Parts: sequence; structure tokens; C-alpha cells
Amino acid sequence: MTTHSESGAVFRSRKFTDFATVKEALISKEIGASFILAPLAMQLVRDGVPIKIVYLGHRDGSALIVAKDGPVRHFRDLEGKIIAVPNRYSNQHILVRKLMRDNGMAPGSIDVRELPPPEHPAALASNSIDAFLVGEPFPAKAELDGIGRVLHLTKDIWPDFISCVLVVRNDLIAEERELVQELVSGIARSGLWLEDGLEHRMEAAQVVGKHFYFQPPKLLEYVLSKPIDRVRYSDLAPLKEDFDEIMELAVSSGVLSGRIEFEAYVDPSFSQRAHRAWDLAHLPALDAEAPVAPPAAAPAAAPASADGQAPKPAGPPGKALNPLLVPAAGGKPETGGSQ
Amino acid sequence: MKRKILLGALLWTLLITLAHIQLNVGWKELESQVLRRFSGERGELLVGFLPVT
Repeated sequence: MTTHSESGAVFRSRKFTDFATVKEALISKEIGASFILAPLAMQLVRDGVPIKIVYLGHRDGSALIVAKDGPVRHFRDLEGKIIAVPNRYSNQHILVRKLMRDNGMAPGSIDVRELPPPEHPAALASNSIDAFLVGEPFPAKAELDGIGRVLHLTKDIWPDFISCVLVVRNDLIAEERELVQELVSGIARSGLWLEDGLEHRMEAAQVVGKHFYFQPPKLLEYVLSKPIDRVRYSDLAPLKEDFDEIMELAVSSGVLSGRIEFEAYVDPSFSQRAHRAWDLAHLPALDAEAPVAPPAAAPAAAPASADGQAPKPAGPPGKALNPLLVPAAGGKPETGGSQ
Repeated sequence: MKRKILLGALLWTLLITLAHIQLNVGWKELESQVLRRFSGERGELLVGFLPVT
């Protein structure tokens, strides 16, 4: 993200390396919005931090990685071992607790440790941990470096897995609604563009790798294509049923100490408006020769569903704007957090 | 006499306002606020992220 708004709004990004520093930056109003872990957002609201979830960052896109030549073949083989997760308040942590319960393992039978995501592959390589469950590209990095192998992709054990969400400070939601809307709509359009074909994903890997993540584009190409649904950028509206499920699992596994109402930590109005706008943008042009009833393969003209989810794009847009490549005034993001 | 008092009060208010902008607000900030309000220029948003999905 950078200064690329048609309306003149300026969006800048600041890179962090751990979630604790992101939390402090939100509290001190250094930043107005951030991508953070979904349960962390819930906990921050419980703690009185004035933020709300307005959109999802992606779906799926995490993996449980074990040592490449190690003996672990099933989750139960991890009994008595050490698993790293990105944060106590993460869906990765909740998923480990759920898998333990589903496999009939005692709550303390796996040592779950909190570790900043960039440190996971090195910790596995040095045998400090036996496995890790974290978001991409660190699982892919472990694979490509010959350190680890995938035991499970989250998409296969928790379909539509949610990791990071976009939170915005409440004062901005109240006073800068158009600015927040522009951000949400931009992310939503980027998601549709990414889902529109492998070539877009490869293009995104180049841009994001070189200018934002500062990671090898080849690594991100792998993440975005092996397999292509390893990370998904569709269905990003924050839905009550998804968050109710997270809340239930978080509380029952002891990750969160109590429930809070969906409305207290989610503002779905921005995603609903973004998706309504698309419906209008994707209406097919009137064509006198076209059949009155659209063929079944024209889903883009379908109205938004009640839950506010976006329709899938109408076939190949062809001239779709690459939202990542609009001329940028400030090429590199700022760097913050503990580096 | 009344006119002198009125002029004095206005002058005093103007001086205090200028001093407040200089010392507490900053002319750059004032300029950007005015531009945002009257010329349609939009705001700025700083978004945090970790290089992880």
C-alpha cells in the first residue's frame, strides 16, 4: 500500500515484525489501521483498545510445518513436542488446541510456544522447536530451504481459515469514513484482481516481494501458486458466523477469557458498501443483441447476498486495473516495530 | 473610546491567534487542514502490517 489513490487520499504502510509493537502503535495512535490476528483484535477490544475489525486480510494461507526428515506423520506424533505459533491470541494457537482436543490429547501434552513469525523457520532448523503453525510465507520458506515439510495446510483442516484482519481505530471510523471506505474497497478490489488468474498472482509476488515484504519474489510466487488456493483473497467480508465460531473455540480452549458481542468488535458496514459498489460496476453493459435472460455463467450481475459477500468477478475482466501497480509516490513502506 | 476598545480587542485576538498557530499548531498543519476542508484534498492513513499472511 502506498500513495496511489485516485481521490488524492494518501495511504502509507508501516512494516512491523511483532504483534506486540503493532498493539502499542494502535493505542498510541501512531497508526490508524493495521492487519493483526483475529483473536488478538478481539482481545484488544476486550482490553478497551478502541478499534474494530472492518475486513479480512485473506483466507487460508497458514500451514503446520514439521522437520523435513523427522518422524512426524500425524498430528498425534507431536505429543510431548514443541509447536510454535505466532501469538497466544492467534487462530493458529486456537487450531493447535482444537487439533489436540479432536485427537483426544490432554491439554498439556504439547508445549505451545509463542514466537515472532519470521523466526519460525530458523527455530525449526536449529531443533529449538519440533513444528510450527504460522501464516505464509514462512511455511513456504521452510519448504524451499529444505528444512520442513507440510503436515497440514490450514485450508484442509479448517476450511476458510481466518488469520489476519484489518482493524481501524474507532475515531477514524467515526470521523474519516470515506477514507476507511476507500481503503476497504481498495483491498477488496485487489483481492478480486488476485483471484482473476495466476499471472496476476505472479505479478503481485514481484511487486510485494521487492517493495513491501522485502522477500524473494520466487518465495511469494511459490506461496501464491503451490497450490493456487494455498492463500485465498475472496470472501473477505467479516461474517458473524465465522467470528462466532472463532469466539467459541477461543473461549472453550482458554485462549480468550470471556466472550464479547460481534457488534462490539466488528463494523461490517464498509465491506457491505464495497461489495454493493461492485455489483453496480460489474453489471454487464446493455446490448440489444444479448439475450434478455443472462446465461448461467454470468454471476457478476447477481445481487449481493444478504451477508454482504462479494460476487465472483464476471469472467476475465481483461482490462482489469492492477491495483498494486498504480504509480506510487512513496515506493518503500516505512519500517516500524522491533526490527 | 468604544471604537478604540473594539479595535484593541480585535488586534489582541488576532495576535493571540497567530501566536497560538505559531507555538501550538504549526503553519504546515494549518495549511493541510485548510486544504483538506476546502479543496477536496483527502486525508492520510498509515496502515501497519507484518510481512506474513
